[in-house]
Amino acid sequence: MSFIAVFIWSFVLWLVLTAGSKGLLWSPEELAAGLIFSGVIALTTKDIIGEKAARFLNPAKWVGFVIYAIGPLFWGMVKANLDVAYRVITGRIKPGIVRVPVDLENDAQYTILSNSITLTPGTLTIDACPEEKALYVHWINVTEKEPKSSEVIAGSFEKWARRLGR
Amino acid sequence: MKNDMGLIVKTTARATIPLIGIFGAYVVSHGHLTPGGGFQGGATIAGAGILFLIAFGLGEMKRRYNHHLYSALEGLGGLVFLGAAMLGLGVAFFYNTLWHNGPVFNGQPGTLLSAGYLPIMNLAVGLKVFAGLVSAMVAIAAFRRWDE
Repeated sequence: MSFIAVFIWSFVLWLVLTAGSKGLLWSPEELAAGLIFSGVIALTTKDIIGEKAARFLNPAKWVGFVIYAIGPLFWGMVKANLDVAYRVITGRIKPGIVRVPVDLENDAQYTILSNSITLTPGTLTIDACPEEKALYVHWINVTEKEPKSSEVIAGSFEKWARRLGR
Repeated sequence: MKNDMGLIVKTTARATIPLIGIFGAYVVSHGHLTPGGGFQGGATIAGAGILFLIAFGLGEMKRRYNHHLYSALEGLGGLVFLGAAMLGLGVAFFYNTLWHNGPVFNGQPGTLLSAGYLPIMNLAVGLKVFAGLVSAMVAIAAFRRWDE
């Protein structure tokens, strides 16, 4: 299964890269070369991508990612950028590192949540500790020294990460 | 001492290593059409190998890295390059006979299967550069004197 996951993952990138070789579409030789190269890549990296990577082939998940990227994530980034611009101008910062307990199960969920937190300015994930179910986040304006959940830092990101990485 | 990176780096590496690999393959195989070519693409793919080495640590790398295989691949790349160069030896060394009257790789210029022996040579150089750079990095990483 992980072979198929890597194969499709790399073949899609190949299609993106070589689009336009025949009109707006792909010429047969590009498609054949893509199949060969994706096959080689998939053979060599199928042990790396992880056994359960095939769950990301679910189209419902792709829709979820797109909705998450242009909805909550983009909106969160806009808000956080404006907030940081305000803090740059006024100089009202109170930096600190806080431990954020999270309720996630697997690596993909931790990665999605950590990257979302890092992408929104003002917060920066320093370490993810799955064994103690917590993230360590550097926060530009600490309002709560020991948060009980990731709600104050990440808003609805944790809910999304749990759903997308499942 | 912990030899590998944290969970986030590892998970991201899992997802990006295939992408770096296929992008490197794209650069190599389109060396006669777009900027890039054998060395650039090979170095890109070697970047994927080095990312694996850094993200997962030397222990994991040692289990998957086979010195003889990489050595053989590097030699094979050089030999294929030389073989492509010898194809037109009836006229001259490096004579591009595939382009002038060969059965393959003589398509319309601008398509993938054009430019005679250039795609073959790009693939050979890419393979050689990839195998060579990865072997070099593994050899450097495995150097053990500072670990006492």
